[in-house]
Amino acid sequence: MALQTEAGERQFVEIEFTLNGRTQRATVEPRELLLDVLRNRFRLKGTKRSCDMQVCGACTVLVDGQPVSSCTYLAFEVNGRNVLTIEGMARNGKLHPLQEAFIEHGGFQCGFCTPGMILAAKALLDANPDPSDEEIVHFMEGNICRCTGYKPILESIHAAAKKLPTAKA
Amino acid sequence: MKAKRAFTVAGAAAPRLEGLEKVTGEAIYTGDLDLPGMCFAKVLRSPLPHARIVNIDARRAERVPGCLLVLTRNELAGIQYVFGAIYKDQTVVAVDKVRYVGDPVAAVAAEDEEAAEEALGLIDVEYEELPAVTDIEQAIAPGAPLVHETVAATGELRASSYDIPQKFKGTNICYHFGYSRGNVEAAFEKSAHVFEDTFYFQKVQHCSLEPHVNIAHFAGDKLTVWSASQDPFTLRENLAGIFGLPLSRVRVIVPYVGGGYGGKLYVKAEPISAALSWKLQRPVKLALSMGESFKTVTRHPARVRIKSGVARDGRLIARDCEIYMDTGAYADAGPRVTQKAGYRALGPYRIPHARVNAYCVYTNTVPAGAFRGFGGVQVAWAYESHTDAIAQRLGIDPLDFRLKNFLKKGELYTAGDTPIDCDLKEGLLKVAKALDWKAPAKPNRGKGLSCCIKDAGGTYKVAGATVKMSADGSAVLLTGTVEIGQGALTALSQVVAEELGLSLNRVSVAQLDTDVTPYDISTSASSSMTVMGLAVQRAAQDVKRQLLRAAANVLKTSPKKLTLGGGKVRGPRGAVPYASILTGYFGSRAAEIIGHGLYQDRKSKKAVLGSPTTFWEVGWGGAEVAVDPETGVVEVLKYFSVSDAGKVINPTQCIGQDEGGILFGLGHTLYEQMVYEDGQVLNPNLVDYRVPTFRHLPKDLESVFLENGNGPGPFGAKGLGEGGLLPVAAAIGNAVARATGVRIYQLPLTPGDVWRALSESKKAPAGQKSPAGWRSLP
Repeated sequence: MALQTEAGERQFVEIEFTLNGRTQRATVEPRELLLDVLRNRFRLKGTKRSCDMQVCGACTVLVDGQPVSSCTYLAFEVNGRNVLTIEGMARNGKLHPLQEAFIEHGGFQCGFCTPGMILAAKALLDANPDPSDEEIVHFMEGNICRCTGYKPILESIHAAAKKLPTAKA
Repeated sequence: MKAKRAFTVAGAAAPRLEGLEKVTGEAIYTGDLDLPGMCFAKVLRSPLPHARIVNIDARRAERVPGCLLVLTRNELAGIQYVFGAIYKDQTVVAVDKVRYVGDPVAAVAAEDEEAAEEALGLIDVEYEELPAVTDIEQAIAPGAPLVHETVAATGELRASSYDIPQKFKGTNICYHFGYSRGNVEAAFEKSAHVFEDTFYFQKVQHCSLEPHVNIAHFAGDKLTVWSASQDPFTLRENLAGIFGLPLSRVRVIVPYVGGGYGGKLYVKAEPISAALSWKLQRPVKLALSMGESFKTVTRHPARVRIKSGVARDGRLIARDCEIYMDTGAYADAGPRVTQKAGYRALGPYRIPHARVNAYCVYTNTVPAGAFRGFGGVQVAWAYESHTDAIAQRLGIDPLDFRLKNFLKKGELYTAGDTPIDCDLKEGLLKVAKALDWKAPAKPNRGKGLSCCIKDAGGTYKVAGATVKMSADGSAVLLTGTVEIGQGALTALSQVVAEELGLSLNRVSVAQLDTDVTPYDISTSASSSMTVMGLAVQRAAQDVKRQLLRAAANVLKTSPKKLTLGGGKVRGPRGAVPYASILTGYFGSRAAEIIGHGLYQDRKSKKAVLGSPTTFWEVGWGGAEVAVDPETGVVEVLKYFSVSDAGKVINPTQCIGQDEGGILFGLGHTLYEQMVYEDGQVLNPNLVDYRVPTFRHLPKDLESVFLENGNGPGPFGAKGLGEGGLLPVAAAIGNAVARATGVRIYQLPLTPGDVWRALSESKKAPAGQKSPAGWRSLP
């Protein structure tokens, strides 16, 4: 990561990171938000802007497996790290069990919170393959849904947990 | 009795049509669109609640590199810049005054958002501050400062006319709805008991996770707008009015919408971007922030006074309601919301002598408009709390009191309207059973009931739909219903699939585009399953008739001998795929059948609202709460909801609508409130304004549906979406009152307010507390 100064006062940072399994390079300003870089530079529009304050979770992406709010996360901080957005969840054309479960159990309506919701849930299941209701509520509290009333999301996460390869028989 | 129809698709928990797009991030919302040559707009908003604009100087802003245009009042010549959902009281940007903190004063279009933001900060505005009114009490006080000195307060919406009665001219009251029957005063005289309560409802916001966003593109004299709107045809009409264009020169396209709840009805920020594009002839994107959405539209705060006369045997005989609705700085849908609040204020009870006066009031606050429940939520909180308060004072079980006074199926709510179309007892008894109503609650716990009805489907709605069957037998639906999350596209496709004997994966829905999609009056009022549902069903039936005729021609038989099913025409000599019929009939694969359907409510001078309601949306709710007497924290342990679905077309989505509505209701009941100080909203963000999160989901939440095929929609369906929300506040408020013996009259029931009410009640004489047992009704 090299800090370059061009004519004038603008500073730029060269970063290299893994985005949905592929190595990517970008030149970003130190103040640029990850959300803007993902949406505007990489055209990954699945990551949504909503509250701008790190409370609603619509802009959630995973950085090294941990959920972060990309609306308040500086883009240069992903240098050398691994970023997963909703566009990288399905593998080889096959949906992740969470994506299937959200469809089956009505885990979304308008869909605007859904990418962030699914990514946060993935981080949870990766760390805790069989979470209790309380554990889901605790982990997912940073993701707001205004449509569903949360219950079908809870059901979707439980259903996905059962389908994961690591699930207990 | 008719044999029960066997359904193949209608009633199935079919996965969402757009499910795959939404879980993969591929679903396109307005904010995701980029157009060639697109520039970006930002809005300068008033920092003052009420002020005259002395001068605006945009010269410094215009010099910012990348700034393309600053739109101020000086740039409006040539357009009809005054607009509004009902009254034309709003301007594209402020002209003479600003009327609330957040009122658009100017707008900038620039090559990028940063330049636009920078330019905003360099617009010099000189204000002369004026005294402001920021709540109902201030606004209706004698001699109150006027939000609008003069306003063309007359307008038409959905075939209803609205205006200010002469006697209120020169005040902040901008609309009055009155209704009465019988002789209310005489009935109060005759009543054994008369009770009066006043309830308050706070200012809340929709908080769609997708803030308002649109892109406007003028190319010559054709305006194309992409908008997160749940009301594209009304938007088209307003924009045509502003720019003096025929409707055919305004095209509104609606990508997926990230939540509506009423907040995206009528016209919002679109005139600003359209005016910028009109000058620039380039696409202009205007994406509001969450904070700006808070300053765009809200629910009406309300003050509802209800006085009821009760006979010795517990019958309601008289009621008088006085309602004030705070519509903020611009009327938006306020007059209609006030009309509906007034109309819905009597509740689901038989009351021979009744009077309602509802007033819509301007204040110097964010405009209030349509919001899930449309005035019904405010009055339902009042009338169902009042119902319990009466029962409590009389020492009667609130369940028995309700059962005694309910309107019966077939009875009239008001003369000239559609009779009550379901058995109100059936739902309430289900709730009572689920709550184990008669069993005493544990200490500091209480149970509460609520039953609410609203006229639904929208008054005087018109909707059209088109179904096209292609040569391969698959079908495309064109509908003006906006997919705002409610699942309408899937449910409507199920109607098409059911009628045409297709599997759901052979049906798709076209992108909503006012240039090609048949007219629909708006996605509102729980109307999509009935009003649009019938238009869609009729369009599918039109295709079916044509397909059968074509089949009879090809198969050389009578249409009467043929039926449709499994994508095949079945006749005496076996089954033939639709594709073979179509290509056979047209002589090639250049084939298509187009069917049209229309639904139109009928007008009636006898109906109070000018048109009988499409159906009655009914919601019953029961809550069990625990109240911590030390902290005032209310925990909802259980919530049980019953709604009258008529016929469930898609169970997953019906439950989603109801449970989503319940959590919405928990928000305004316990947490949500826009806090004002000196005319400033203190909490226009999701940190300080708390909407329900996972943690607020009651451990025991269940919603069930009545399915008696009693709806006017396809296969007996009614509409859903608002009914589940209506009873929530009063059910919880009633449960809190029974848990503590203290009734709280204003929302939200915050720990602080509950604790204070508990502390004050400890000082009150014991006689005012809740009785231990109920007496039985004669």
